Amino acid sequence: MALRVDYEGSNDVGVFCTLTNSYCLVGVGGTQNFYSILEAELSDLIPVVHTSINSTRIVGRLTVGNRHGLLVPNATTDQELQHLRNSLPDEVAIRRVDERLSALGNVIACNDHVAIVHAEISAETEQALVEVLKVEVFRVSLAQNSLVGSYCALSSNGCLVAARTPPETQRELAALLQIPVVAGTVNRGSELIGAGMVVNDWVAFCGLDSTSTELSVVESIFKLGEQGAPTSISNQLRDTLIESML
Amino acid sequence: MTSMYNFKRITVVPNASELKDVVLSKTQRKTPTVVHRQYSIGRIRAFYARKIKFLQQTLHDKLTQIINEFPKMEEIHPFYSDLMNILYDRDHYKIALGQMNTARHLIDGIAREYVRLMKYADSLYRCKMLKRAALGRMVKLLKRQKSSFEYLEQVRQHLSRLPSIDPSTRTLILCGFPNVGKSSFINNVTRADVEVQPYAFTTKALYVGHLDYRFLRWQVIDTPGILDQPLEDRNTIEMQAVTALAHLKASVLFMMDVSEQCDRTIEEQLHLFESIRPLFANKPVLIGLNKVDIRHRGDLPAEKAALLDQLEKEGIPIVETSTLTQEGVMSLRDRACDELLAQRVEAKIQAKKITNIEDSVLNRVFVAYPAPRDEKVRAPFVPPGLAAKRAAKKLAAENAMDVDDVETVGASAGAVSEFRDENMRRLEREIELAMEDDYILDLKKHYMLKNPDEKYDIVPEIWEGHNLADFVDPEIQQKLESLLKEEELLEQAGEYESDLDSDDEETKEKMALALQIREKEKLLTLEHTVNKRIAGRVGSRVHTRKRERSMSRLEHELGELGVDIDTKKMKNLQGQCAKPQLGKKVCSRRSSISSPPLLQPRPIANERMKVGRARSLSAVRPAPRDELAFPDEEKRAHVDKLRTKAMRGLRREAKKGEADRHVYDLKPKHLFCGKRGNGKTDWR
Repeated sequence: MALRVDYEGSNDVGVFCTLTNSYCLVGVGGTQNFYSILEAELSDLIPVVHTSINSTRIVGRLTVGNRHGLLVPNATTDQELQHLRNSLPDEVAIRRVDERLSALGNVIACNDHVAIVHAEISAETEQALVEVLKVEVFRVSLAQNSLVGSYCALSSNGCLVAARTPPETQRELAALLQIPVVAGTVNRGSELIGAGMVVNDWVAFCGLDSTSTELSVVESIFKLGEQGAPTSISNQLRDTLIESML
Repeated sequence: MTSMYNFKRITVVPNASELKDVVLSKTQRKTPTVVHRQYSIGRIRAFYARKIKFLQQTLHDKLTQIINEFPKMEEIHPFYSDLMNILYDRDHYKIALGQMNTARHLIDGIAREYVRLMKYADSLYRCKMLKRAALGRMVKLLKRQKSSFEYLEQVRQHLSRLPSIDPSTRTLILCGFPNVGKSSFINNVTRADVEVQPYAFTTKALYVGHLDYRFLRWQVIDTPGILDQPLEDRNTIEMQAVTALAHLKASVLFMMDVSEQCDRTIEEQLHLFESIRPLFANKPVLIGLNKVDIRHRGDLPAEKAALLDQLEKEGIPIVETSTLTQEGVMSLRDRACDELLAQRVEAKIQAKKITNIEDSVLNRVFVAYPAPRDEKVRAPFVPPGLAAKRAAKKLAAENAMDVDDVETVGASAGAVSEFRDENMRRLEREIELAMEDDYILDLKKHYMLKNPDEKYDIVPEIWEGHNLADFVDPEIQQKLESLLKEEELLEQAGEYESDLDSDDEETKEKMALALQIREKEKLLTLEHTVNKRIAGRVGSRVHTRKRERSMSRLEHELGELGVDIDTKKMKNLQGQCAKPQLGKKVCSRRSSISSPPLLQPRPIANERMKVGRARSLSAVRPAPRDELAFPDEEKRAHVDKLRTKAMRGLRREAKKGEADRHVYDLKPKHLFCGKRGNGKTDWR
């Protein structure tokens, strides 16, 4: 199921939120609208946690995590780390990594099994990914976009990459991730997929501007709806996509 | 999405007399109004010429606005230009706009001419007459175009009420004889709410509704019914439908009344279909066989059924519908939409010459599937509660469908609380709304601690300048335990049993030495303190000054001079020496001057009563020299007075400031010499 939400007027929900299969982090905001939508949807299954990272609310861009763990940048304060430790279940390992590319959410995209990372990430961070998140790590770049975390969103079911990613790259990614990969947009044509949406294995939250076509693509590739399957993109949705984009 | 064809923004066209009043009063208001005969003629001419030019400019702007705002027949989509031709008559429309343009030119010409004539006017009166004539002629031109203004205003009103049809988007057009159910169909598939009545030509204009299908927005156009007659005979109402059919690239739904209740037989309806068929070229066409709730297609007589079958054989799908029971309505809509979509996609792909998959659009319908690279299973993780939750949600949704009127309650509470009940945890948003300004976000509420009582424990961040987090060690307990265990082992091994103070020779020696050192240290300290006390005793210089006038010196010096100093003779001197010190003495001396003699002797009893620490005395100082020099008070007072008097002048000078009046030169030379008399002008 894919839902449209906005974070205090912004469509970029992926900036302010990190969603995994075992927890969800939300930036502390002025009102609780966004938090409560997630809370209503998720809180009976996984903890939905208010947090700040380095006193900013762009937690989605600064952290990266999956079911097994969470990596936070070095700038995270001790109090924030303590708060996260207290709020997350004990099975989730948390580690503070000293990475030069400190917006971890922008340079790393991962699901519970595989992570694709920016080519220039440090070896220590890679090590942390393997140990804490228990994933295989691949250094890739999505055509001209080297910020893999910003330009793609992935779950264990599928992967949505920026619209201009060429098919060879898609095939490559599919081989690495072992999931279907499709190119697309969110938020009425935004290519910043990672910033514009968050997804886990059973639910996705997209920006409020996302069109119904975009949502249907999201539901299909991430297998969120009852009818959703990646094959429907090239079959049922094909005409709609072409019609709406040309 | 608003189309580019928005005729609602055209400003109101005023009628001729209104416009006249507006422009004349504006000229009056916005140009100077005072002129006088005695002004120079150039100024008078400029005054009136300005009025003429101003009126001309105002009128020019107004007319230009009208001309520019109305759509140009040649520039708009042929559908709209045809529709306007039908509704407003192309020639009439163009002539009206042309007349606006002519009027504009003429007004410009008149103004130019009269401004030129103004040069030859030689008086205020003549200038004024010229201005009058010019303004009158310009306004007269407007009056002559009265009918055009009225016509354009009517056109504007009608245009602004036209449905906003986007000629290039996905469109379904409904057509057919009057009263076959076109409007009912559009009411069924969209929310257009077109009027439906059981008589012909209920719909007299185009209506637009919108529907969503396959995640896209579709436009449905309901047209007025058309009769089976040659094009020349068609009236305006029918022509609108024909225009829409002719110019819009859309899917055509030809509605037929299978029950023949619209007073047209199937044959007639099919004949109409054939006669307007040229309009359907290159468009998906579907026939909606309406009103099947009255008569089914199967119930038709054989010859009529054969006609329909023949049509179907030509590849035109016939869908049975009933707008009353909504049977077949959706399938007709879906088929129409699908056909049009397929055609449009085909056309687009052809036009863009998209053949390779590298293109940005086609790669978005391309899904890359992985080839398995190893045996590892990478299954999605779904929490166990999810299935139950989904089932409950589905159930709730079904219940909500059953009880339709409950919908409004959920809608008012917002999308968040759609499937919520009172057992679920209260949302932050609900708490925030309830508490209003007092709301404070509680971050610790959902902490997952072993001991929930510790949730709100205050943990200091910084303690005595140390960041506590730096000292947090998760394994502290284990470390302590292991240490204790080690200690225990050591104890068991007898590590601590041996006596530690078993002194050997060396230690003793050292101890003795240490004791010696310590004593020496103590001594040194003591000595230093004493020395310091002596060295540090520094009295005032007054104290330490040697007394110059002493008894012995007096005796000695006077003795040398040959004066016999006998102690007896020195009684008084000794007595003086024996007197108490200065501090006390001064006090008594002062009182002897100021106070009356009665009060002078102090009661001795009082002094004796004094208990405790004696009052400290000020240092011994010699008396001031002015006191010492005089034998008694009287003389001293006299000298004091003399001195004050002598200093009076000096003091006055010293007190003088720059603000004090001062005549620098009592008799300035230039005033007291020369040719002038010494008379009246000496102080000016």
